[in-house]
Amino acid sequence: MGKKKINYRKQIFGSILVIIFAALIIPGAFASKQVSGNEEALGIKLAKQAVRANKRWTTTDHAKIEILKQDFKSGDEITQACLSCHTDASMQFKETIHWTWEVPSEKEGIMNGKAGHAINNFCISGNNMEDKGCLSCHAGWNGTKGEVNCLACHGSEKFNYKEAFEDLNAFEGDDDPDTLEITKEIQAGIQSAVSKITMPQRENCGECHFKGGGGDGVKHGDLDTSMAQPNKNLDVHMAAEGANFACTRCHTTVRHNIAGRLYTRPAAAERKSLIDDDMASKITCESCHSNLPHKKADSKMNDHTDKVACQSCHIPEFARVNPTKMWWDWTKAGDLKDGKPYVVKGEFNKPTYKSIKGEFRWEKNVMPEYFWYNGSFSNIGIKDEIDPASIVEVSHPLGDKNDPDSRIAPFKIHRGKQPYDKIYKRMVAPLLSGPNGYWTTFDMNDAITRGNKTLDVDYSGEFDYVETTYAFPITHMVAPEEKALDCNECHIRENSRLANITGIYLPGRDRSNFIDSIGLIAVLGAFAGVMLHGFGRFFTRNGKEE
Amino acid sequence: MFKKTLITCILVMFSLGTISAAFASEGPNGNKRKGKYTYRKVVKACFERGEVDSATPKISPADKKQAEWKAIFEEKNFGEFGCAQDWAALNEKDVLDIYSYLYNFAADSPTPATCK
Repeated sequence: MGKKKINYRKQIFGSILVIIFAALIIPGAFASKQVSGNEEALGIKLAKQAVRANKRWTTTDHAKIEILKQDFKSGDEITQACLSCHTDASMQFKETIHWTWEVPSEKEGIMNGKAGHAINNFCISGNNMEDKGCLSCHAGWNGTKGEVNCLACHGSEKFNYKEAFEDLNAFEGDDDPDTLEITKEIQAGIQSAVSKITMPQRENCGECHFKGGGGDGVKHGDLDTSMAQPNKNLDVHMAAEGANFACTRCHTTVRHNIAGRLYTRPAAAERKSLIDDDMASKITCESCHSNLPHKKADSKMNDHTDKVACQSCHIPEFARVNPTKMWWDWTKAGDLKDGKPYVVKGEFNKPTYKSIKGEFRWEKNVMPEYFWYNGSFSNIGIKDEIDPASIVEVSHPLGDKNDPDSRIAPFKIHRGKQPYDKIYKRMVAPLLSGPNGYWTTFDMNDAITRGNKTLDVDYSGEFDYVETTYAFPITHMVAPEEKALDCNECHIRENSRLANITGIYLPGRDRSNFIDSIGLIAVLGAFAGVMLHGFGRFFTRNGKEE
Repeated sequence: MFKKTLITCILVMFSLGTISAAFASEGPNGNKRKGKYTYRKVVKACFERGEVDSATPKISPADKKQAEWKAIFEEKNFGEFGCAQDWAALNEKDVLDIYSYLYNFAADSPTPATCK
């Protein structure tokens, strides 16, 4: 057997190539690992700069303020004591929607808001603040009369002032030593609570906003008592082990107007980050995270931010701890047992039937519904004509795929059936609480007559029920990064979360014969080119050693 | 004559109505407002001795119906409340006040107690 000739020149050349390749690739691989280990998404970096540790402090110890150590006989007296230093606070507050519950409308003769012509598909209407049941969430001592209750938002101790003042008045003039002792205790309790003043805490805001609609988690799907002390899985911003934000960290305030209100107008007039404008509000995600929030500026996910709201991917489900009400059927209300109203409890230990309100359905871990959204809503009020043959969208997000301010955003859609005027074809506003309200009389016709009268809206005297929807934006309960949606939750042929977002081409979900044909031609063309090139080289023996 | 007869009839009917309403009332007639504070005081004292977990009463008037409260107080069966030492120290009037509070804000009363 002949000895094979070794081509040393070829071996040396090959070895040099391998060494150069290794020298280039291996450190590169390690370096890239190191970078990705330390790398933080731009949006996170910016947000951390925007909201450093809470460094608030106070120069006032309210326990040392003499005027707060008096024996108060009413809530108004407490507020007068507050105003002796904070002179303009009440005046400012009374101009905000938290007090008026009204928002001027562009439509003539219409006033939006709970105290106006707006309705919903929960307890339906505030009846121009005549429905006293709603007023338990009004920040006044005595509904809309008298002074602002500063302690509703600024008191850190939960104290039942209403009961305390009622009892003090009832005990007045009673010289019984036991009564005098009780009176002294009540006064001590009031003074202790009045001295504990704070910036609004979650419990202050949550007392109404966690329990809107008459109970925990009834209205909002993303706000309930679980948000008072959420863990990081529930909300990265508010968790103690996360950013530990109070509500006011994003809902900033100017003259007691609290950012975040959205209705016929968006919460923020412009989409700005604090880098663009250091006086911008912190109410949108972009405010702190910018519009390029993800790792690497050229990340594919950053390409989404002009069309998809951050919340769409980062809040995969809402009501993840406590259930939320998803259905409310007023047609079933009014059934009595032995002449008395009753309650049936179901799954989650929540009421599924109440004689005074009808039938309910509760859900947990609810997947949002998605719509184009420019930050504002269309609303059906009590003066608007409806089509009872179709589902009435009492509140629905506004937006359009061609609107640069619109994004695809997540919503809770609360569905139900509620009364409407059969003749005038308008929604109605039954009066519910009080001695003449439906909850006492169980007479819907009478309740509508009385309720519409509070709003000065005619009622024909005939009613029926219509199915309605009410949309709530989902924006709290932001999950950790690793729980954000995968691409294939939306970019998939079947069961895409965005199945109802039509009129756009969504890769993976949609197919176009034209685009598919171009793609096929491109692939086949590339393959043919490679083959031709290969054959050409083979037959011309190009590159072969002699 | 007719006028006198009419006035007499009205007075008689009013008196009968008032008397029967007073007798018809089956509930206790203590001071329910004082009873609320006495009840809270009992629990608070008990809490301070470490016998219960909370200074706020865990049993609310609306946790039971009026008939249930009636049975408990007629039998003086206060075991469910715990704090036996404090209950034993109460005089008859204090017990009646607490009974009036719990009974009048029971689940089936016209004004059941709420957490507010």
